[in-house]
Amino acid sequence: MSDIFAFKGAHDAGYAQPKPLISEDEISSLIPNSMVRKNPPKWPTASEPELVRHYTWLSSRNFGIDSGFYPLGSCTMKHNPRINERIVQLPGMNDIHPLAPESHLQGLLAIFYEMQEMLAHCSGMDQVTLQPVAGAQGEFAAIRCIQEYHRNNGDECRNKVIVPDSAHGTNPASAAMCGYEIIEIPSRDDGRLDLDALRAVTGDDTAAMMVTNPSTLGLFEPEIAEAAEIVHEAGGQMYYDGANFNAILGKTSPGLMGFDAVHYNLHKTFSQPHGGGGPGSGPIGVKNHLAQYLPKPLVDRRKDAKGIDGYSYFWINPENSIGKVQQWHGNAGAVVRSWAFYRRYGRELEKMSEHAVLNANYLRYRILNPDSASLQGIPAMPVDGAPADVVKHEFTLSMSPIKDTTGVSGKDVAKRLLDYGYMAPTLYFPMIVPECLMIEPTETESKEVLDKFADDFLAILSEDPEIVKSAPHSTDVGRVDEVWAARNLVLRHPLED
Amino acid sequence: MVDHLPNLGREAEMLHSMGLESIEDLFSDIPEDIKRVEPLDLPLPQTEEEIWADAQRLLGANIAMNSRPNFLGAGLYQNFVPTMVPMMATRGEFLTAYTPYQPEVSQGMLQAMWEFQTMISELVGLPVSNVSMYDASTAAAEAITCAVRVHNRKASQPNVVYVTEWLPEHRLSVIQNYVVGADIEIRLLTTNDDGKINLEMAKNANGCCAVYVEQPNPFGIIDTNIQNLKEIIGDDTALIVGVNATSLGLLTPPGEYGADIVVGEGQAFGIGATAGGPIYGLFACTEKYLRQMPGRIVGKTFDSNGKQAFTLTLSTREQHIRRHKATSNICSNETLIALMGAMHMALLGPSGVQKLAIRNTAACEMTKRSVLSIPGIELLHNDSGENQPPQHYNEFSVILPGSATSALSFLNHRGVTGGLALSDIMEGADDSWLLISATDQTKLDDIQELSVGLNEWVLGGCS
Repeated sequence: MSDIFAFKGAHDAGYAQPKPLISEDEISSLIPNSMVRKNPPKWPTASEPELVRHYTWLSSRNFGIDSGFYPLGSCTMKHNPRINERIVQLPGMNDIHPLAPESHLQGLLAIFYEMQEMLAHCSGMDQVTLQPVAGAQGEFAAIRCIQEYHRNNGDECRNKVIVPDSAHGTNPASAAMCGYEIIEIPSRDDGRLDLDALRAVTGDDTAAMMVTNPSTLGLFEPEIAEAAEIVHEAGGQMYYDGANFNAILGKTSPGLMGFDAVHYNLHKTFSQPHGGGGPGSGPIGVKNHLAQYLPKPLVDRRKDAKGIDGYSYFWINPENSIGKVQQWHGNAGAVVRSWAFYRRYGRELEKMSEHAVLNANYLRYRILNPDSASLQGIPAMPVDGAPADVVKHEFTLSMSPIKDTTGVSGKDVAKRLLDYGYMAPTLYFPMIVPECLMIEPTETESKEVLDKFADDFLAILSEDPEIVKSAPHSTDVGRVDEVWAARNLVLRHPLED
Repeated sequence: MVDHLPNLGREAEMLHSMGLESIEDLFSDIPEDIKRVEPLDLPLPQTEEEIWADAQRLLGANIAMNSRPNFLGAGLYQNFVPTMVPMMATRGEFLTAYTPYQPEVSQGMLQAMWEFQTMISELVGLPVSNVSMYDASTAAAEAITCAVRVHNRKASQPNVVYVTEWLPEHRLSVIQNYVVGADIEIRLLTTNDDGKINLEMAKNANGCCAVYVEQPNPFGIIDTNIQNLKEIIGDDTALIVGVNATSLGLLTPPGEYGADIVVGEGQAFGIGATAGGPIYGLFACTEKYLRQMPGRIVGKTFDSNGKQAFTLTLSTREQHIRRHKATSNICSNETLIALMGAMHMALLGPSGVQKLAIRNTAACEMTKRSVLSIPGIELLHNDSGENQPPQHYNEFSVILPGSATSALSFLNHRGVTGGLALSDIMEGADDSWLLISATDQTKLDDIQELSVGLNEWVLGGCS
């Protein structure tokens, strides 16, 4: 255990810094007496050598994509190219101010413009803003645009947003934050969108429907165009949750499916690293009728022989903009990383999706069709979360047959996978699949990794149930008591001297 | 040729093993009428070397703040990030991890965030901190909606929140978007001629759900009146203070003068201005607000062997469990940047943060003295009667004898980024008002160049 508050190597002197421009004695006269801080914060008193070792130790207790296979469904944990990190350390990126004159930001604006155009093209939308800083914020911003669109049309009575029961939790949460009532519709028995259920709830109070396609089951919704028609006929708008865009890029687009607005998760599809929980980036794209409501500002350009590649770039505010959702220009660093990622694929971005889908189908096949040798000793096999000939970039397994046979739950298997050196799949989501494991391998895993994972997964199923139920055994800590944490709420270091 | 696909060239082998013929078979579930027919109209794939060259060319066309005298601020400041910070934070185990939903293999980030919570709690003087918000503006906005959830039942002014006058539009606009759905009415808390909160008017806020003020305020003034605000608005009204994080190396933590929620921008600890993102918002509060708080939080606990461990806790507030009843839609946050902040704060330590705040104060004061020595330039809000003139942190505002835009353009041609025209960022600001920010990175030569330039602009008739 390395305790950052126990180091004393800096002897209370702290990090050495250049002298202030005024002598320290004079400083007290520059702060109102009543506002002078009496006790400094009890921060660590550690020297750089101690801290480097502390954070190295912490990093050794953390599992990233770099550590091993990370089949976390719905999260698209693909390789994060290192060139992207080098690029954002350039002074022209990390030391620029968002309110600097446009002439100071021409390179950034050129990249922004290219990203707006690229994302619009890939999704079949007309205009993109890069401002939202996470997928959930993209949802929020787009639903706000739709809200203003309806208000402008005198359609203020549209107060309901429809979401399927398989939707990500952020969908209903974002719409509720805009003030909408949420109508959740059940999926069909085969996990697909239920058009009859949709028809039954659409009407002149429908503001929008939010859909993920492929769905969180990893399945393409075959009747998506019909769903869009139903919602449009009722006067509602169609919102595309782009969490699963990695599955279809270049193959179809939200525009072709009939959507009016979409968010992209640059931290999923375009390799912005997840960073242990963020930063993300959630640009949104819309069709022309919604473009005037987008957050401000957007980037536009004009011909200019002296500019970058013949153009100069400038900010422009949409006519009826909802205003801002983040105070600057969004997570510009994430946008630049994603630009570097997309440039690597260029017009072959389609290959990215092809390989993501190839890997998901291959792994699903390997797990669900074991050879007879592997099958021996497995008391029960998982089943498909929903029936399908092919899946897209991810698939779900129901572990119910195992639980019914041996008492080993989906969670137990997930925890046992940690012992084998894997990150666990997404657990118990979507909620419509009992004992659900959701597995997304991404395109950057080799066939050998997928083969080994399938073998190990099957091996776990034939293990002594008691070993699996008490897993993990070889991780830094054993199974963590989350109930104790919630009951006792020790949310900071007590710092007792 | 794309080089990050390990199975390139092995497609047929993999397809055949599962009884499929072609890649197109994998997409047979997409109806023909919505399939994309045309290939993507995008440039050819590039190699790493070509991308690096292009990135250097494009980003090299930007003008970095430290390449010339720079006085931009308004909530985001030029700083120096110790080398250790990006080097340690971009270790792959941190950089490429997802949210620590599997605590058994995520103890590193969980412990680092628990340490972060402790450091923020110490900094602002409140018991609880979350693991970060997107930025200062969304932190402020969600603090307001959080306070309304806690107070609107008891409030004599349900769903009313007072927000300080003169908030820059880039923050006010975010707040306005976030409160639309919660049906919250925003009213303005007015200021005196000395730029500080009008405590007489603040009595009107008594019984509303919350008051949001900033310390230092948007003009850079250290507002001593804010210390007396809590007594006036009372226990049933939340005092939300938006802070400039580094200022708390010298200034009283808001928790000590009654703040219920403290929010702010963490950027100066941990990362450069980076065009405004990714940065991270601070969110700390008293226990009363804990269960209505947005965002993730880490708690200490034990593993099955009784060994100390950390885990995300109070998740039942969050969207992945509570869906439309969640306290916020926030999912991805800014953890990695908060980690950078924690590393920077840990390296500074208690005396280092004080030194950093002293350097910021000193640079601001030297710049102020120099600029105010120019005939015709006056401090905004100098009209303070018997009191001493306002004191500032990181930035101050002046009235120019001409338009700020004209002065900035004049300075820009001389290679000086002179600050911000307040009329560009604040509704109602006069076009002669200039916000000048100075930080620990400001040098005496920079100040000299700014003042010489401004003096020449004045002498030349302000054009």
